Amino acid sequence: MSNKEKEYKDLFISEASQMVGELENFLTKLEKEPSDTKTIDSIFRITHTLKGNAAGMGYEVISKFAHALEDLFSEIKNKTILLEADIFNSLFKATDTLNELVNALSDETLVVKHRGIQRKLEVIVENNKKTIAANKSPQSSTKKAITGKNLQTKTPGKTQETSDKEKKLEQLQSQLDSHHQENKKTEELQTEAYDENHQMIQACENEPKKISFSDMVQVPVQKLDNLLNLVGELIIERDRLITTHEANVSRNEFNRLRRVTSDLQYSVMDVRLVQVGFLFNKFHRVVRDAASTEKKQVDLVIEGSETEIDRNILQIISDSLIHLIRNAIGHGLESEKDRLAQKKQGVGKLTLSARNESEGVVIDIKDDGKGIDIERIKAKIVQKGWLDTITAEKMSKEEIISFIFEPGFSTNETVNSISGRGVGMDVVKKAIDSVGGNIKVSTEAGKGSTFTLILPSSMAVKATLLFEVGHAQYAVPLAYTDAVLSLERKKIHKIQNRLMINHQGNTIETIFLRNLFFPEMSLKNELHDQSAAKWNVILVNYNGRKLGLVVDKLLQQKEIVEKPLKKPVDFVRFISGVTILGNGKVCLVINIPQVIQKLFNHSLTVNATAVA
Amino acid sequence: METIKEKNQKSENGQKSQLIVFRLGDEEYGLQIGQIKEVVPTPHITRLPQTPSYVKGVANIRGNIIAVVDLEEKFGLKKEDQQEQKDNYTLVIESNEVKMGVLVRELPNTLNVTQSQIEDAGNIIQDGNSDQSYIKGIVKLEDRLIIMLDVFKTMSENELSSVFKHNKSNENA
Repeated sequence: MSNKEKEYKDLFISEASQMVGELENFLTKLEKEPSDTKTIDSIFRITHTLKGNAAGMGYEVISKFAHALEDLFSEIKNKTILLEADIFNSLFKATDTLNELVNALSDETLVVKHRGIQRKLEVIVENNKKTIAANKSPQSSTKKAITGKNLQTKTPGKTQETSDKEKKLEQLQSQLDSHHQENKKTEELQTEAYDENHQMIQACENEPKKISFSDMVQVPVQKLDNLLNLVGELIIERDRLITTHEANVSRNEFNRLRRVTSDLQYSVMDVRLVQVGFLFNKFHRVVRDAASTEKKQVDLVIEGSETEIDRNILQIISDSLIHLIRNAIGHGLESEKDRLAQKKQGVGKLTLSARNESEGVVIDIKDDGKGIDIERIKAKIVQKGWLDTITAEKMSKEEIISFIFEPGFSTNETVNSISGRGVGMDVVKKAIDSVGGNIKVSTEAGKGSTFTLILPSSMAVKATLLFEVGHAQYAVPLAYTDAVLSLERKKIHKIQNRLMINHQGNTIETIFLRNLFFPEMSLKNELHDQSAAKWNVILVNYNGRKLGLVVDKLLQQKEIVEKPLKKPVDFVRFISGVTILGNGKVCLVINIPQVIQKLFNHSLTVNATAVA
Repeated sequence: METIKEKNQKSENGQKSQLIVFRLGDEEYGLQIGQIKEVVPTPHITRLPQTPSYVKGVANIRGNIIAVVDLEEKFGLKKEDQQEQKDNYTLVIESNEVKMGVLVRELPNTLNVTQSQIEDAGNIIQDGNSDQSYIKGIVKLEDRLIIMLDVFKTMSENELSSVFKHNKSNENA
């Protein structure tokens, strides 16, 4: 909890400092053009927002201070107070004080004397109101302000003395004034208020002004992207240099370079990381709205909100998360009545949790609802004509569930604002694919389901496994790899035209990557491969579908900087991007989703024609 | 850089222009010098899956990843026995959006021609299928005939993906 509070506090401080900065700018602008109503409106808006924010955070001092400013500007807006040099001085002083107040939030030792200037603002407004009430010219109050101003120039040591004198002078003047005034009472009140406030006001005006800077720098994401690209290129160049010179000099020669560059890389990556809590905390509202539309009772539990992830990834998956949450409420959780009938708690529980794991950041969206109805999905698949009943029956639970990510799939018969239109899950999957992530679904009837998103913590660097096919090196992201096997020829079975292997009780289809990539050279190569004693197989998994890839040679695990393919070859299938290896050669990164999708769709069409 | 710019300027003005001339098969082909970024010894090329065979793959040229094509193969000019001695250099061609490499056997030469020596292709080749015409013009010198290429057309998306779809339908059948 305290973590979250600190996060909000930091956010508030950063926003507030920005607002104060804007305020200062607008004031300067206004001083030059006092009649600019647009600027006045802007200032009014800022003070209002600041007041609201501060009140929301429980910072009463700032809230009240901003309120005083707001009041004054509301008068200025209504043109009941004329903007004069003196008012501007007070206003600038007030913004400074406001800034100090904001800074005091992060620095406990700072003591800010804000009452004086705040009072002064209030006095201006009060005086003005009285002036209006008395229907007279504001001359006298202006005069007094000028008197006060003259006194400010004196040293603080003489403050007491001068203010005594000043009081007398004021009294004299007010008496004098009052003779000329019709409304004596108002004037007296005014004078009293002035006396009372004067010392406070004066004390604060004698302090020297300091320019302060926020500890935060706001940087456009675009600039960070650029920086990251440059670092990526630097890493590639470093690897190239090291490889070329490795033979001539000792390896230690490059240790420092290695260390500095990887430190640099991780620092830049770190800058882009944000806490998932920023996004998660917005879901309270999403859950509330969805729950009230569905007329269900939902309790949202957030875990691991301090987990850090790349800002761009968070942005890309935010819609997907909203969708998954709405789905969990719409499809997963039962109504209160149903839940009570099943001896569950009336309030459904939706857990949103994030954690760091070796392959990146894992986000779970877990509900304790009724679980996914496998039979219903099967029926829908058959109804849609995607599969025949026999094939559907033979499929594993995971394979069946993977159909919910097909475009156009929906089990909800009725369409409502939350779910049931059959668009969505495929979009969710696409978004997650685009960042190189993976999605897994586990479900238990009556107990609920969990959607697990496995996301890279940074877009720039991908943990991959390098391997060789036909003397060229390829990389496959670790997010999709399950296992690496070395199998004897006889462990691989040929069923019709397909190769199957057995792994932990599952029969998994296996292909020669070379056959898929370069069909024209497949024939003679397969013969050659079959003579080899052992086959290296990489087991990959995407969306519940598993596939074995036979490769020539397994190499190392490596973090790579992936670059997209550019025109004119940007449309090439099965490749998500490229990276340059230390030896200067280009290494292709395999797009596992596309490979699996392609094979799966292919078998679907074969099945469909068989049915027809 | 300065001189190249100057030359380009002149060619637009219909005056002198400089061409890069290279051999494909037995013929000479030409490109405006401004289109060519550099000529490098052919680096290691990594094949791309499921691309037409004339797309040799991608190579790392000074940190840029560039698609390399064999135009001899594309134009059907390839002779079996020449395989060994070819592909020694790569012309790196650059436009605003496309960067590509073209394999050539020998170092290309430069040639100065005047605009009037370049004849528009439309006058020479009456091919109805203008979409696929990569020939921009012909330069006629005393004993030489140089074919001006519109090199980006050879690698346009349409062109590549049509071959690509063709592959795909074959494979599915």
